[in-house]
Amino acid sequence: MSTRRLTTVLMGALPILFVLAIWQALCSFGYAPPSLLPPPGKVFLRLAQQLGNVGFLDDILATLIRLFAGFLIAVVLGVGIGLAAAVVPAINAVVRPLVQVLAPLPKVALYPALIILFGFDHASKITLVTLDALFPILLSTYYGASMVEQKLVWSALAAGTPRWQILFKVIAPAALPSILTGCRIGLVISCIVVFLAEMISSTDGLGHLLVGAARTFQTVDMFVPLITISLLGLMLNGLLYGLRKYLLRGFPEV
Amino acid sequence: MRGKVRKLSPPSERQATGGRMQVPLRPEIDTGTGATSGERARAMIEIASVSKRFETSGRKSHLALSDINLTVNDGAFVSILGPSGCGKSTLLYIVGGFVAPSEGVARMKGAAITGPGPDRGPVFQEFALFPWKTVLGNVMYGLRQQGVKRTEAEAQSLRLIEMVGLKGFEHFYPKELSGGMKQRVAIARTLAYRPSVLLMDEPFGALDAHTRTRLQNDLLNIWERDRKTVLFVTHSVEEAVFLSDKVVVMTRAPGRIKQIVDIDLPRPRIRAELLLDSHYQKYVVDIERMIDDGRDDAEHS
Amino acid sequence: MTSARNIVSKLSPLLACLGLLALWQVAALWLDTESFPTAWHALQTVPQVLGDPEQLLNILDSIRRMVIGFSLAVLIAIPLGLAMGRSARVSAFFNPLLMMIYPVPKAALMPVIMLWLGVGDASKTLVIFLGVSLPVIYHSFQGAKAVEEKMLWSGAAMGLSGLQRMIRIVLPAALPEILTGCRTGLVLALITMVTSEMIARQSGAGNILFNAMDMAQYDTVFAMIIIIGALGIVLDAAFDKLRWRLVKWAEPHQEILLGAS
Repeated sequence: MSTRRLTTVLMGALPILFVLAIWQALCSFGYAPPSLLPPPGKVFLRLAQQLGNVGFLDDILATLIRLFAGFLIAVVLGVGIGLAAAVVPAINAVVRPLVQVLAPLPKVALYPALIILFGFDHASKITLVTLDALFPILLSTYYGASMVEQKLVWSALAAGTPRWQILFKVIAPAALPSILTGCRIGLVISCIVVFLAEMISSTDGLGHLLVGAARTFQTVDMFVPLITISLLGLMLNGLLYGLRKYLLRGFPEV
Repeated sequence: MRGKVRKLSPPSERQATGGRMQVPLRPEIDTGTGATSGERARAMIEIASVSKRFETSGRKSHLALSDINLTVNDGAFVSILGPSGCGKSTLLYIVGGFVAPSEGVARMKGAAITGPGPDRGPVFQEFALFPWKTVLGNVMYGLRQQGVKRTEAEAQSLRLIEMVGLKGFEHFYPKELSGGMKQRVAIARTLAYRPSVLLMDEPFGALDAHTRTRLQNDLLNIWERDRKTVLFVTHSVEEAVFLSDKVVVMTRAPGRIKQIVDIDLPRPRIRAELLLDSHYQKYVVDIERMIDDGRDDAEHS
Repeated sequence: MTSARNIVSKLSPLLACLGLLALWQVAALWLDTESFPTAWHALQTVPQVLGDPEQLLNILDSIRRMVIGFSLAVLIAIPLGLAMGRSARVSAFFNPLLMMIYPVPKAALMPVIMLWLGVGDASKTLVIFLGVSLPVIYHSFQGAKAVEEKMLWSGAAMGLSGLQRMIRIVLPAALPEILTGCRTGLVLALITMVTSEMIARQSGAGNILFNAMDMAQYDTVFAMIIIIGALGIVLDAAFDKLRWRLVKWAEPHQEILLGAS
């Protein structure tokens, strides 16, 4: 069992090492000039250096603030509206067509409008993150809540649960797996969007670092924010995975 | 008025009205003479000319139940038997208050049923346990909902869990249990809030034959102790005869009562003896024949 | 009765659009600033933008890149995803790499890729390709993984070879899931297209959008938003219709659109 697991991990590590090896080989055999592709060692060294640099940490902090603010607003709105739409037919009738129209809308296209309305600072970026992360969370909450087994609700009603409590006592917990799946997708999207927004217009944050480095052709500095945001994404994903595992310990594996 | 079926008020309000509220609905154990002599016993459930029509797509509608009249006495074990699609589960859901009848009325202790309530406890074929709660959490749920204090609810639940034979599994999650164990938990969860009537919807239908007989025996043992009224839906003739005082045989589409058979077999019933009993065998064969007749009728018409 | 309800449900997205535009109109009138034109004003500017041949060509160029990137991604991602879904080894090999790439904003690679391939079509198409591939791989993978083993056994018993089973059983069985992935991919293609042009600022719809903003032509900004938004909604609706045709047999199931890249 454990050896099998080990092979799986090794198999998975292989292509990542492979990519790193090719990257290194391209550099050390002179196929790629360092001005286009810096060697991986140099990039990771620079990353390590930067982590001790207060300015760099400030940029990470700016990105994280926008990311979390946008994501958390999206979670609150998405779960709230999703549950309401699943339970109240009147709300459903209004929300459903709106979501149908707004979900496939490319939200980045709204970014200029958001800048005009909210300025260049946090607000416009947070709004963009919220808009992008909202719909996956809303949709999965809605589907999860509308597919709750009818007899679960009946069992709770028969046990004396007042109708108004059914939403919190049965429907929300029963929809939790689905809600968390939506949150996970929303989180990945938040990471991506906050970075893009900072690239398009910003004065700080990881995305801004990338654009700044690109303007001056500092290739090493271009790779550092890219790798940082990827690592951040992986770490946040891992945290959410752990939270999911804990919250869903009673549910069958999906 | 207290015993009436009524909309539930929140626990806080209930506490205010009567201290620590226990649903005062335990059936009186005065049917010791055997539930079949139920003519004089009090009627627990009355179903009066109930029909149920389901609107299907467009103009069509489907008549699931047609003019059902049935009285279930306090302390009786009554099975509703019929082929699949005869509306027997729907009838049970109407008594449970989960589904409203299109015509007619169902009464519980004389009061019209308008919604679910803790005087009627359902047990479903699908178990319908809360996956996010442990065995103990599931069993405690109803008691906590009635406003029973945590420590007290826990003590009562632990006793029930032991009674259904799941001691040691209190902190397991439903996903970690087998089908038979899940159904034991579901039964304990329902018994916990002391309903006057158990509504069992093919509770053993999803279990293998061996587990099924064991649960039938255990259910009878539990029932012998406090003689709750049980309404039991099944499509197994043997199961119905083995468990019940009365078997209500239904026909298919639209569901009607074909015949009500009194099962006059001594209690407590012991499976090994009963299977060899010629009366038991005759009941089974007669009822099977009755159902077959019904099928022929349906095919001819 | 049913038909009336049908008409309402068909029209409801349209009603939603009108409602949103009305909301915009009211908000703009209320805020009353030059930088936020009314919905009516922006709509009137749409024909002007599309009437300008240079801008129209720019937009068509964008769409061309999007179609090429999307098609290439679908052609490569579906077989890869299916292979991953049916072989534990292939999936163990690719999964972690894909997991690593997943949270990387694909459009953010634009500066790096521009460094290598220049600012032309190649970079933008490559970025779109990258953005579309992942959700398509993921959904094909899920779809193939969920194929009932016994169906494949029946296929093998009928004498189908491994490749035949893949094409004749796994592909159709996973089709609903694959198409869900493609739908997500389509929206992503549009998003990546706009974003890459916003970052590269050289040609295309995203460029028009930001040039207009730099020059304070707010009517054009909002007209472009309407055009891009409409493109997204129409493409999505059209694809949904196609999908509906192709997998009528499948049970309806939940779809979660992945938003951005």
